[in-house]
Amino acid sequence: MSGQSRAGGRKRPARQSLQEYARGVVGGLLFSLPLIYTMEVWWAGFIARPSHLLLYFGAGFLLLFGYNRYAGLHEDASWWEVAFEAVEEMGLGFLVAAGTLWLLGRLNAGMPSEEILGKIVVEGVMAAIGVSVGAAQLGNAGGKGNGGSNQGMKGEENGEEPPGLAAQLVLAACGAVLFASNIAPTEEILMIAVETSPWKILGLALLSLVLGGVILFQSDFRGSQRQTPDDSRNSFTVASRITANYAVALVTSALILWFFGRFDGMSVGTCVAQTVVLGVAGSLGASAGRLLLQR
Amino acid sequence: MSKLEKNALEWSVFTVGLALVLATVGFLVYEAVSSPGSPADLSVELGRPERRGQVWAVPVTVRNRGEETAEGVQVEAVLRLPGGREERSELEVLFVPRHSQREGWVYFVQDPARGRLSGRVTGFEEP
Repeated sequence: MSGQSRAGGRKRPARQSLQEYARGVVGGLLFSLPLIYTMEVWWAGFIARPSHLLLYFGAGFLLLFGYNRYAGLHEDASWWEVAFEAVEEMGLGFLVAAGTLWLLGRLNAGMPSEEILGKIVVEGVMAAIGVSVGAAQLGNAGGKGNGGSNQGMKGEENGEEPPGLAAQLVLAACGAVLFASNIAPTEEILMIAVETSPWKILGLALLSLVLGGVILFQSDFRGSQRQTPDDSRNSFTVASRITANYAVALVTSALILWFFGRFDGMSVGTCVAQTVVLGVAGSLGASAGRLLLQR
Repeated sequence: MSKLEKNALEWSVFTVGLALVLATVGFLVYEAVSSPGSPADLSVELGRPERRGQVWAVPVTVRNRGEETAEGVQVEAVLRLPGGREERSELEVLFVPRHSQREGWVYFVQDPARGRLSGRVTGFEEP
């Protein structure tokens, strides 16, 4: 609906969309290359059951959708446009992942279709999130042809109002996924969780909370002022934001670990410890990543 | 309903993306519905021995017809020679995904043509 309010509703020149796709592809490589070069992630592609892959794909799509909606390239976009872009980015992400995996010799004709598809799905969803972030963040802010403002989210062109709760949570989840997924598939998470004493695990949880607080409220991080202007900062807001931030980090970390099979046959204590260990990266992503991801 | 103001390039990228998304979802749904969730089902096939200098190389194909991936698959090949003598060779395959096969080689010192050659999986791990 809001699409009509765009300057004249003109089509953008193809050259401009091409630039946008180029940024997207670069972003896809930038954010997903560590995962494309990780063998545990290839293995996840053929170990994961089809139903798990489907869930993973659906979750990735929702995240793309949410990111485009709240921080994407065209913040005056309608839901149709957001869906259109999510499909474009998913397609580009799959092509980036498939091309890179093939060049790395991870896909060959002798493999069954399940294995090839599994690898492309696992890597492609990550690449698609990178494409989305790249297209929106790597661009020169002045180069947008929308006639719209380039800061702020939908409906707040002055860029001063704090983003709503839904927007904050979606962006925090995006940030957490981007940061945490790079280390989630490695064996080290399990090793740390099993070998470290419970007190140090508690220390990691405290570190995550402190990092979240420092990033969101203390370090004058880019965008942190807009999210919580000084006059709205009382101890309740601060505590609830830090808690919400860490909660998103923990839930995201747990979901990623579950997908990579890190919870299979583990005791509850080990699962919690792994989640806290990964939660440090999740918390960094949810706070710092979020502030960087938003426009 | 707002109109989508998109140029031809954007429409083509969207079409490719949509095709990939639909094909992926379709394939995954088909697989999820059609696979009964049976455990890994492994079998070993030995090919024709080839002479490699002082030794004989035998190609090994490990096949998994089950629905689960097998990890750390141990394969044993035995050459039974006349007179009750035996020669054993082993091979470990890191992963054999569901509905997949992996190939490798085992070496023997004796000429396999002089005896009877057989291969089997001795064990594997669930990933």
